[in-house]
Amino acid sequence: MGWDKLATTWAVFQGLLIGALPFLLIGVGIASLVRWFSPAGGWLRRLPADPLLGPLTGAALGFALPACECGNVPVARRLIASGAPMATAFGFLFAAPVLNPIVLASTWAAFPDRPWLLLARPLAALAIALALASLLRLLPEAELLSDELLEERRLNQPLGKLSLLERRGGLLGERPQPPIGPQRMAAAEALGHGVREFLNLATLLVFGCAIASLVQTLVPRSWLLAVGDTPTLSILSLMLLAVLVSVCSSVDAFLALGFAAHVTPGALLAFLILGPVIDLKSLSLFGVVLRPGALALTVAGTAVVVLLICQWVNLWQL
Amino acid sequence: MGKSLATLKGLRGIYLGLWGALLLFSYSSERLNLLVRAPLQPVIGLAGVVLLLLAGLDMGLGQGRQRLPRRESASWLLGGMVALAMLLLPPEPSFSDLAASRGSGQMLQEEISFVLPAGQRSLTDWVRLLRAAPDPQLYDGDPVRISGFVLAVPGQPPQLARLLVRCCLADATPIGLPVRWPPGKPLPKANQWLAIEGVMGIESSDGQAHSLVLPNRISPTPRPKRPFEG
Repeated sequence: MGWDKLATTWAVFQGLLIGALPFLLIGVGIASLVRWFSPAGGWLRRLPADPLLGPLTGAALGFALPACECGNVPVARRLIASGAPMATAFGFLFAAPVLNPIVLASTWAAFPDRPWLLLARPLAALAIALALASLLRLLPEAELLSDELLEERRLNQPLGKLSLLERRGGLLGERPQPPIGPQRMAAAEALGHGVREFLNLATLLVFGCAIASLVQTLVPRSWLLAVGDTPTLSILSLMLLAVLVSVCSSVDAFLALGFAAHVTPGALLAFLILGPVIDLKSLSLFGVVLRPGALALTVAGTAVVVLLICQWVNLWQL
Repeated sequence: MGKSLATLKGLRGIYLGLWGALLLFSYSSERLNLLVRAPLQPVIGLAGVVLLLLAGLDMGLGQGRQRLPRRESASWLLGGMVALAMLLLPPEPSFSDLAASRGSGQMLQEEISFVLPAGQRSLTDWVRLLRAAPDPQLYDGDPVRISGFVLAVPGQPPQLARLLVRCCLADATPIGLPVRWPPGKPLPKANQWLAIEGVMGIESSDGQAHSLVLPNRISPTPRPKRPFEG
């Protein structure tokens, strides 16, 4: 790699990371507020657990957090840790990056001449969230959630739901981080957890942005756009492009505008619905929520659902 | 390794402060002009201030002085080192290199409702106009005063170009105007910033006529403070 390429990769890395950190901060801030106001879950546990209603409720929560995928991960993690139903938390995690006002407005601004896209993008995001929530329900929680998250979730679940062996803390011995004082420490503890979470996620984001910037600079975009008018290949190549470029869902429509005229409608939709769920940047963050096996299942499930939806769009639009 | 990590206990606020300092410094030093579009910059500066405040609060409350798992302290140390490296090594992207890995950009607004006088149009205005109404006869002889960086185009003479950026450098896409470079002189180096004064002309290639810039005066110019267009 020449010096110019290295310098450009470093700049793209900085652009990606510095652009994502404020949204990560917003997400961690909301998660910390949820922890502060509802430390033991409370009303979060009463959100719908129904396989249909749960993801829809989670998706609707996206309107309360107008941020892209980086900010969603800490909030979804907090929902799960507080004992909220998985269906709602996964609905939020997978659909909210598209179903928020900023993303919908930017899609409309970029493609006013394609009204079908304004409807297809949120509907497809909902379909992906429903499919993933249903798929991940098949796994037991112990195979689904990362160790730390599983432990925290079990601490916040009603005693009747778990055996003593499943619940490793909270009944016997000390809780992992005991409160020191009744009122002042509640806020201090929430702040401490928020700071810790931000630092952990920031480092993960560093890895994601490093991989994304390397791939962005080394792989010419023309390679992925070369198969523009081939129905299936165009979808697959745009899916790959969405994973590699790792841009925020709030601006990906403007990026797609650059090649929209050269690819099939299904491929365009694939770029706009896959990127907000899976990309190199967010994959590193998902590690704080899902185990590697569950993450692989999420990636495979998303790819299949996106491919099916977009094939259907190509049949309908071409 | 274990000893060095053990001494990091209690430095949580400093790591957080480093990230805050990076965001705030990037904002105040105008380094962000090379990384993200203007509308996002105040958000980044504000996030930097919030992180610094939280770091001070965290250190004041003594919350960072807890025992930490070794893996977590190593992860924070790595993050802190990256933040420090970003503070010390400013971004210096090669626009031409970046453009080479991207496709040609399409404008948000391809139809023009308002057109500036020819001499006042920027390179982006010209590209927008030529895409909205590509008939080269319409612009033949119009005065041109534009600036941009030299973009190498494989198999063709270099163009004068700008980068369109919607959010950050990651979504940058190039747009360029063909230029008839003075014959007998070496072609300009890629990535160099030039200001060109001249007129719009017509050139035929592959049986099709298209517009190109016929320069009367080409002069080097410093990279603008805000080099991206949207």
